Amino acid sequence: MSSRTTFIGAVEIGTSKITVLVGEYTGRELAIIGRGECSSRGVIKGAVVDYKAASECTHSALEQAERDAGERIELVFLAQTGGHLEGFYNEASVNVKASDNVIDAGDVRMVCDLAKSKELPVGRMVVHHIRRPFRVDGRLVPGSPEQLVGQRLELGYWTVHGQEQRLADNIHVIRGFNLEVRELVLSSLASGHMVTTAEERQHGVLAIDIGAGTTDFVLYRDGAPHTTGVVSVGGTHLTNDLSIGLRLTDGQAEKLKLRFGRATVQVRDKAQKVWLDGNFAIGDRQFPQYAIEQITSARAWELLEVVKKKLGNAFTPEGCASGVVLTGGTAKLAGIGETAAKIFGVPAHLGEAPTWVNENLRDPGYHTALGLLYYGVSAQADKSAPARAKGGFFTNIKRIFA
Amino acid sequence: MTKPIAPAPAARTWRDIPQPVKPRAMSRSGRRRLVTGVLRTTAGVAFCVALAWGAWSVAGALQENPGKMPAAAKAVPVRAPQFKTDGVLDHAWLERTLRIPKGASLMELDLEQLRARLLADGQVLTATLTRHFPDRLVVAVTERSPIAKVMAEWGGQQRPLLVARDGVMFAGDRHDPAMVERLPWLDGLTIARRGAAFLPLEGMEIVGELLAKARLEADHLYRSWRVVSLARLASDRELEVRTVQGVTIIFSAHGDFFRQLAKLDYMWEKIANVPDAQARIDLTLGREVPVRIEVAPAATAPDATPGGPAPTISLLHNSQPKTKREF
Repeated sequence: MSSRTTFIGAVEIGTSKITVLVGEYTGRELAIIGRGECSSRGVIKGAVVDYKAASECTHSALEQAERDAGERIELVFLAQTGGHLEGFYNEASVNVKASDNVIDAGDVRMVCDLAKSKELPVGRMVVHHIRRPFRVDGRLVPGSPEQLVGQRLELGYWTVHGQEQRLADNIHVIRGFNLEVRELVLSSLASGHMVTTAEERQHGVLAIDIGAGTTDFVLYRDGAPHTTGVVSVGGTHLTNDLSIGLRLTDGQAEKLKLRFGRATVQVRDKAQKVWLDGNFAIGDRQFPQYAIEQITSARAWELLEVVKKKLGNAFTPEGCASGVVLTGGTAKLAGIGETAAKIFGVPAHLGEAPTWVNENLRDPGYHTALGLLYYGVSAQADKSAPARAKGGFFTNIKRIFA
Repeated sequence: MTKPIAPAPAARTWRDIPQPVKPRAMSRSGRRRLVTGVLRTTAGVAFCVALAWGAWSVAGALQENPGKMPAAAKAVPVRAPQFKTDGVLDHAWLERTLRIPKGASLMELDLEQLRARLLADGQVLTATLTRHFPDRLVVAVTERSPIAKVMAEWGGQQRPLLVARDGVMFAGDRHDPAMVERLPWLDGLTIARRGAAFLPLEGMEIVGELLAKARLEADHLYRSWRVVSLARLASDRELEVRTVQGVTIIFSAHGDFFRQLAKLDYMWEKIANVPDAQARIDLTLGREVPVRIEVAPAATAPDATPGGPAPTISLLHNSQPKTKREF
């Protein structure tokens, strides 16, 4: 990224809402200067199923954010989620070439290339290559191994890949607004980066972002992302369960979920009932609170169980000393921390944004968009060759006046 | 010996998805954004161009307007002027003519006055003076070329002056003497003055045309021309040329000088070879060219009548050549 002020849009196309944050990046500092939100249409479980409807919502949120910021967005960091995303681990090792066993840049480059060189099935594309720490003769090296002495250099990448069509659909929604997608960031990485501290990541932490349509998770170890995943179950499934179980419309079920839903059954009196609206108007009905809690807790329990199952051997209570951090809109479900703690066997708590984040943006619903900005900016800054250098004379002129 | 391991080709990443989108495929808000961006860019470029043009204009105005020049430029004495000419005038003539006071700065010079001094010399056709800050004056002149010479009173004494095609007379000090010697004299004209300066001679454009045609097309004839008389130009539209051999040639200003020169060239060898002949060739009568040859009386001839008139031979020469001659 250049030192010129850049206006970056962080876009999260979610199942329930589309969130856009505008960041002003000066090369050293990032400030949030605008926000736009719109109820989502045409998106199911994080995937665009109705291009036109999804475009209209997204563009509306982008326009709102630009108006709020008073500036034109120049490039976009786009959050990516959905059940089509999968990950695998690939490891490579090389013998150090130098006779004195000092590791040089050539060795590092070679092991990186080897670890990344894994062919994907047709129609799949890499979204992220997440590098795990180097190992020199089995010894963990948190930073760069260059100039260290050793005989064998090892490295592994957690590669996240997704369906080409799904990725292209999301990108084209943004391109339809005449904006360039500069960075595609996994939702779990974005929100995980925001709700966990560097210390927690070093000790091992599991960040779970429970959205409306999907649940994204990332397990950190040794300060770096270790395993990521997406489960196509979210808050709408709880609403759907309530709707079927209590014979309600989706709107009514959503209302009950927000008011009385819990991830643990707390009420003892099975006869205790709650009003649907509470205004005693015609159509207002009573429902057993026990039933509501039982339905929502069962689904929440199942959801977290699926996450644990997907993590498999990667998750151990010993390797996750900092516990589980929950975020996302559905993480506001009462008692979900207790449920997570029971399932994973480690302490669990609701994630909070850092203290410097403005009060208006502290809601868990914004963690992904916030994380997008910070993760995207740091990813761009890490690149040795800035992407902005690309483009011809007229492109640069346009950027100056855009 | 171990072979280096070649990594497999890198898998396709999301960055391989082409992002360019045609405006038609954009939403209405996207198109509006595109148009706004184009308009902004255009306005920005136009603003920059206007700014550059303004700066250029201001710089030009500052260069032209002495009052806005910095004081430092006014304090630097001007160096010897740089001189450019297409003729024979030299730097000494320039300094003598301009008479720039010593130690004068560029801003103190009155360029109009200096230009008038240069143009006062009839040899100078145009003069351009340019200030190059901080201390350089550039003088560029174009000079008149002489086509004839005339005897006139100049500085209280009779002396030859050069005449340009536009009739302007000038001293022509720096010209090659051999070239000046070859120029024909002008005769039968009136020299008028206004104050100390001569007025341009009348009829010189016709004389200039004849001399130029003769030099270009029949240089062997032109070289023998000594005097060009304009005495009958105003009345009869005739020019009289006298050669070193004593031949008088009369040209008509009405006719084409090229055709007249062609007739003259056709008969010239015959007439010019008559020893001691005082010929008079009249080229003003169309196809017929009357030639009058007066042979001077030989001093040794026993049958010559002493003190009597010289015998005259008159012939009417048909100038129509037998074969066409190319000039």
